[in-house]
Amino acid sequence: MAQVFSLLLALAAPPSVNSAPWDEAAARHLLSRACLGGTPEQARAMAAMPLNQAVDRLLAEASEAPAAQRPPWAREVWVNKLRRYSDMPREEYLVTFRRASSRCDREMVDLKTAWMSHMCGGPSPLLENKTLFWHGHFTTATSKLFAASQAQEQQLATWRGHALGNFRQFLAAVTLDPAMMIYLDMEGSERTNPNENYARELLELFSLGVGNYTESDIRGIARALTGYSLDAPRGVPKPDRPTSPSTARSMARDGLVPTFDPASHDDGAKAIFGKTGTFKLDDVLDLVVSHPACGDHIAARLSDHFGAHDPRGELRRRMADIFRKTSGEIKPMVRELFISREFLAPESRGNRVKSPVRLIVGACRDLGIMGGMPASFPSASAILGQDLFNPPTVKGWPQGDEWITATTLSLRQRLGSVIVDGGDLGDAKPLGRVRGTLVPREPAEARKLIDRLLAIDREKAALSDPPSKPIVDKASLGKIAGNDDAREITDRILSRMLVIPPRQATREAIARALETCPAADRPSLAVTLVIASPEYQLE
Amino acid sequence: MRTRRSFNAATLAAMAGTKGFLETAAISAAALETDRVLVLVQLSGGNDGLNTVILHLDPIYHKARPGIGIRGRGVHPISETLALHPEMTEMAAMVKDGALGVFTNVGYPKPNRSHFRSMDIWETASDSDRIEKSGWLGRYLDSHQESTGPLAVRIGNNPALSFAGKSVKAATFASPEMLASRPGIEGAAIASMSRPQLTGNAALDSVQKTASDAINLSRELRRATTDNAPKAEYPPFSLCQSLRLVAQMISAGLSPRAYLVTLGGFDTHAAQANKHAYLLQELSQAIWHFHADLKAGGLLDRVLGLTFSEFGRRVAENKNAGTDHGAASVAFTFGGAAKPGVHGSDPDLANLDDQGDLVFKTDFRSIYAGILSDWFGADPSIASDPGIRPVTVTRGKPR
Repeated sequence: MAQVFSLLLALAAPPSVNSAPWDEAAARHLLSRACLGGTPEQARAMAAMPLNQAVDRLLAEASEAPAAQRPPWAREVWVNKLRRYSDMPREEYLVTFRRASSRCDREMVDLKTAWMSHMCGGPSPLLENKTLFWHGHFTTATSKLFAASQAQEQQLATWRGHALGNFRQFLAAVTLDPAMMIYLDMEGSERTNPNENYARELLELFSLGVGNYTESDIRGIARALTGYSLDAPRGVPKPDRPTSPSTARSMARDGLVPTFDPASHDDGAKAIFGKTGTFKLDDVLDLVVSHPACGDHIAARLSDHFGAHDPRGELRRRMADIFRKTSGEIKPMVRELFISREFLAPESRGNRVKSPVRLIVGACRDLGIMGGMPASFPSASAILGQDLFNPPTVKGWPQGDEWITATTLSLRQRLGSVIVDGGDLGDAKPLGRVRGTLVPREPAEARKLIDRLLAIDREKAALSDPPSKPIVDKASLGKIAGNDDAREITDRILSRMLVIPPRQATREAIARALETCPAADRPSLAVTLVIASPEYQLE
Repeated sequence: MRTRRSFNAATLAAMAGTKGFLETAAISAAALETDRVLVLVQLSGGNDGLNTVILHLDPIYHKARPGIGIRGRGVHPISETLALHPEMTEMAAMVKDGALGVFTNVGYPKPNRSHFRSMDIWETASDSDRIEKSGWLGRYLDSHQESTGPLAVRIGNNPALSFAGKSVKAATFASPEMLASRPGIEGAAIASMSRPQLTGNAALDSVQKTASDAINLSRELRRATTDNAPKAEYPPFSLCQSLRLVAQMISAGLSPRAYLVTLGGFDTHAAQANKHAYLLQELSQAIWHFHADLKAGGLLDRVLGLTFSEFGRRVAENKNAGTDHGAASVAFTFGGAAKPGVHGSDPDLANLDDQGDLVFKTDFRSIYAGILSDWFGADPSIASDPGIRPVTVTRGKPR
């Protein structure tokens, strides 16, 4: 009886969020949040279709997108060449080390640049945005993975492959992803000394959230996940030169193939979520994904990423129900989100600070630039706080207002001129260098070492690439601007690039600036200033 | 951004004719009369307290740490039983000079061993099992009047949770150079776009406020760094240089009441000895130079410093010549008012918790409470339950 009554109540209760019409403004919002920005022309084409159809089209584009091309340096069969054998002379090791680390640094820049270009001009910006979401959700950080460009490249491909797939299958791939195994110490976690790092983040960040498990669940899972290590690819002979026991794992492992060694696995009984059994990896994943909190956690993370006005959590509840009913299918959850009244509500629009990647990729997309990013863009993003493949903590990326500080905002104000005129965002240096080594106590010796360190820094700075060229030509900016009139250019660029109406202060400041500059420079100055405006920081 | 004192006078003069003046003045006077500054030094990653302040004569210590335990003559004794790490020469000299406070066994009940959760607990001063969104200093600064300049500065890349409050009162930057304004027409247009015009869109309004704060701050920083030559020669390393800049800002009379600087890298799971040694060397030299600089500038009595870290490390070393996440650790206080000497008992290695970690004896919130009441003359309950009694951090009485 009580159930029937509450059902009636639920039917009678008005929805907490009013629906908004599906029109060009709504389509711009969807493009902005789902597709990392886009042009008014794209929004118009989208709004010409019914909402369901527009969303299905985006999702189909994502599913049908051909696999991204792997970089030429990535290997099918990867064998670790960066080794430190016990009998290796120090000099030989140092040479190998330096060569490997600078090669990996170059490869990481290449990987980031290619990814950002792909976000901008690839077949499905939505798929790249989803991949970016998972990249922040299942974090690994290059700062903890030495010379791991191969592992990061593999990981990006894996994340992209599962981005709209099934969460249970995704989680299995995550757990035995080489970069993840290194980052959260699954590699080499064994019976006698189970490492709890992965088990803890699996529950806290990846699947359930704080408050849904106990410390003893973590210990049980850590034990169930013992026995895995990274090994040479099958059939590849291992070197018979031993490494010394104190060698870092990155210089001792043979390859990146996850391998199970039953002898180092703890096959005893474990208690997890109140159940007891001789659980192994697959059991753990089943227990985690079927835990009632898992769908809620993923729904909340997705809804935070795309942003929806969901004051009573109704959208999250619907998404979590889909998760449970479909055993963790991600695509229908995302679909539900994009067609929801909560996501399309006016209260959801234009009120979130763009992440640095969203800002940079979006600026290009708003201007119709289709990829071809310079290698300086990933470092521009890094200095704005988002160094791809290197989130600040295992919690992933900051969100919303957290991106904006006095410094990052000052730097964001220079982004437009970097796009239009070329140059680099990150030529300001942080305060001081990392000490990184003991400095001798004797003053003359200390001086000598410090001078040497500073000389190395100067050398590195001198070796860095020349400033980048602009990525957009004046002719295409002129076309976007339309004519020479300062006020008309101002309004045209503002309405092309902003998702919210400009304040009077912004409109006036830009128009006045354009009036004082030569007509030929107006389109590029207008773009520079719109990108610098407070309004442009929002999506 | 005006200095605290001139703002005080100007504001009071401006308010003299308005209704409710007495009430407002009482609040603002309480908040504004202080020119005292708090400098937080965050040691992130979890500093190994047991190898920082060392029980170098305790056989249990050496038994638990046969590989990375520190023995021999290099250590700097600060009591009959405790000694500072060999690389902390400068801080050991400060102990001798009565210029450094050493708090042992600092922690909290039900310790959390996750880096960011435990750091959040430290920065918000919450109970271990309660999520709190505002920072302990953010809540204190909420009681201040609106100010034209930031009331707190975090030197680094991300805003500090310690300063999070009802509104943004802190500025965050990794270097003053990064705040430089754009030249020419572009700069002028950006400055006029940044003039706040509130819209009710919270995110937009917050961006506008940051934009106008950034412009003021950039101007003030330029003044601070050009007019105030440091009176100590700091090494060119990050914590040293961060504290050098803090000293310049204090010396220039800028608005912040609190600063937070960070030294990272303390998560020493493997091959700890060398890494921990150079981190402690950096800490020791940075605090020493900062102290000398402030002293030479006659500013020492306006500054109180506190180091903190999210947790200490497990008593027993691990198999990789490192240590895993632990619980209680040490904290240092410095500055003219810091009550010197060792506060608290020696770590008790014979009675560990069920995970093999040190049991805390001083709740870190009692240190915060002591700072709020004795240094800032504020309500200590901002940081802690009334059940947690403030400990004495400063030598003097509150002003």
